[in-house]
Amino acid sequence: MARELEVLAEGQGEYHRVDPDGFREWVRDHKQRAMVPKLMSAKEAVERFVQDGDYIVYECNYIQRGPAALIREIIRQGKKDLWVGAKFTWVDVALLVEAGCASKLDVGFFLFGPVVDRAVKEGRVKIYEYSNVVMTNRIKAGAMGLPFIPVRSFGGTDGFKYSGAKLIKDPYTGQPITIVPALNPDVALIHVHQADIYGNARVFGTGISDVESALASRKVIISTEEIVDTEEIRNNPGITAIPYYCVDAVVHLPFGAYPGEMAGRYASDVEHVVEVVGATMRGFVRQYLDKWVYSAQDHFEMLDKLVGWRKLQEMVQRATIKEGYLP
Amino acid sequence: MIQIHTAKGEKASYFNEREHQICLMARLIEDGKTYWVAGGGSPMASILLAKKLYAPNAVYVTEDGVLAPEPVLPFDPIMTMVSSRAGYRALQWGTMNSIGFHAQMGYMDYGILNTLQVDPYGNINSTLLGDYESGEFRRFGGPGGADSIASLCWRTILMTDHQKRKFVPRVDFISSPGFLDGSEGARERAGLPRGTGPYLVLTPWALFDYEDRYLRLIGISPFVTLEQVLAEMSFRPKMADQLLTLETPTEEELTLLRTEIDPRGQVTITGDIGRWIMRREDGSFGPADEVEARGGDPNLPRSW
Repeated sequence: MARELEVLAEGQGEYHRVDPDGFREWVRDHKQRAMVPKLMSAKEAVERFVQDGDYIVYECNYIQRGPAALIREIIRQGKKDLWVGAKFTWVDVALLVEAGCASKLDVGFFLFGPVVDRAVKEGRVKIYEYSNVVMTNRIKAGAMGLPFIPVRSFGGTDGFKYSGAKLIKDPYTGQPITIVPALNPDVALIHVHQADIYGNARVFGTGISDVESALASRKVIISTEEIVDTEEIRNNPGITAIPYYCVDAVVHLPFGAYPGEMAGRYASDVEHVVEVVGATMRGFVRQYLDKWVYSAQDHFEMLDKLVGWRKLQEMVQRATIKEGYLP
Repeated sequence: MIQIHTAKGEKASYFNEREHQICLMARLIEDGKTYWVAGGGSPMASILLAKKLYAPNAVYVTEDGVLAPEPVLPFDPIMTMVSSRAGYRALQWGTMNSIGFHAQMGYMDYGILNTLQVDPYGNINSTLLGDYESGEFRRFGGPGGADSIASLCWRTILMTDHQKRKFVPRVDFISSPGFLDGSEGARERAGLPRGTGPYLVLTPWALFDYEDRYLRLIGISPFVTLEQVLAEMSFRPKMADQLLTLETPTEEELTLLRTEIDPRGQVTITGDIGRWIMRREDGSFGPADEVEARGGDPNLPRSW
C-alpha cells in the first residue's frame, strides 16, 4: 500500500528545473560518444554553447584555476539573464551583474559590494540562498543522474526558507532529513592544466566541484593551459579528471585563469586582483570592465595590450611550488 | 571542563586585542583532533600557531578539499585558501564535496568560524544586517562554508569581536545553525546530526561556553572588567560560578605570530584589530593610550 511521503517544511525559493530523464535524453541526443576534435576559439565556444537564460557554473574564478578568460568572453558577448551558481566565487558575480549578464543567483558565497546590492534592491537580480557545500552537493546529485540529494546540513537556517530545500521524514530511519534539488546546469565553464583536443582533461590540485560540474552540465566548455596528445592521456589514465564525452568545446587559453593563480604554472597578478576587489567593494565595476574586458577583442589581445610578456614571465617565475602539479 | 594549554615564558608587554584573541584560541586547540577552519583570518592563524606550540598533531582541513597541509608561510597576500602555498604538502587534495562528506560522516571534531552576529543560542549570521523580507538590509556574501562547518563538525567554536552589535538577542538571519530556538533536540528536528552544535565563543575580551544550550560567560581578559564585558552585549549571558582569567600573550607566541605566521600583518595589523594593550608598571594590563597617558612603562616603545 502506497503511503504519502511526509514533508515537514519546505523552502519557497524557485530552483532550476529538476529533470533527470530530460538530462539523459539531452545526453543521448547531444553528447558526442565518438572522439571528435572540439578545439575552437573562446568566441566560438561561448557563441555556440552559452545561450541567454542559461544556468552557468564555474568556481574559484579570479582566485585559482578559474575560467576567467571564458567569463570575460561571456561579458564581451553580452549574454543575458544568466542564472549563476554563485558558490565559492569572488568578484565574478559583480562583473556579470554590472555587465547585465546575470539575473538570478544561487548563493553559496561571493563578494557582494554595491553593484550587486543595487541590482538586488532594484529587482534586476534575484537571490536564492544555499551554502557552498549544499551547492556542490546539488551538483553531485546532478552528476549521479538523481533528482535530489539528502544533506545533513542547512536544516534550521533562514537560508532554507529562501531555497528549494525540503525537510522530510526519512522513510528509512524515521528521522527528519533535509533534501535539496539536484542541479544539472546548462553550462559548466572549467579551466584545466591539460586537455587533448577531444576534451579528456587533467586537473592538478584541489577543486570545489569541477569534475562533478563537467558531468552534471548539458554543455561543457573546457579551457586549458596546454593541449596534450591523446597518447599522453592514455599513458596515465588514472589522472584523467574529466572524460571527453561530457565535453562540448576545448579552448586553448594559456594564462586563461589570469589574474588568478594557476597552481604549478603561474602565480596571481596581485595588483590586478587588488584592483578588481577594490572595484567590486567600492562600486567601480563599470570602469574595471571598460579597462580590462571591453577594451580588448579577446583574451590574447588583453594579454598583449594590458598585461605584457614581462608581467606574465614574472608570474611564471613566482610559481615556485611544483609538487603535485606535474603529471 | 575546557582544557587550555599553559603558555610558558615571558609575558609580552605590548600587543593588540586581535593578537591576544589568536593566542588564546591557539591555547584552546586540542592535540590529535581534526579542525575544519574558515579559510583565512583569525581561525587559520590560531591553528597554525597552535601547531607550532601546543598541538603539533592537530590536523586541519579547508573547504576547498585540502587535508592536513603543511603550508608555506606566509600565505598568498590575496587569499588564504586554494593557493598552492596554502595547500602545500597536504596528505590529500580532495574537493568541497569530499571534505563536506567527511564532515557529514563525523570525521571533523571541531569547526572554527568568524561571524557578523551571534545570539544566545549560538546561531550565526554572515548573510545580512537588517530585514530580509522588506529588503531593508546591508548584504554580505553568504554563509560560504560556515553553514556546513556549524552543522557537521562535532563542536563549533566561534571567534568574533566583543561588540554590542555582534551579541544580539536574535540574529537578523540564521546563516549557520547554532541551537536554533534553544530547545532540546531542535537541531535534530531540523535534520542536523545528533550530538553536534556550538561549543565555545571567544572574543578578545571573553570566553563563553554553553549551559543548557544558552551562552555562558566563563572567562574574561585581564585588561577589561566584567562590567565592560556585559555592557558590550545586547543580552545577558549566563555566568559561571568562577570566572577564568584569560592570560595575555607570551613573547614566544607573539614572535611566531608576527614573524612566521602573519609577517605582513594581514590579520594582526590591518583591518579591525581592536585596541593596543600595554603593561602597566604594577604588572597589570590596560589600553595603551590610557597607560601612556599615565606615564606608562618608560622601557616600552611609544608606537608600533
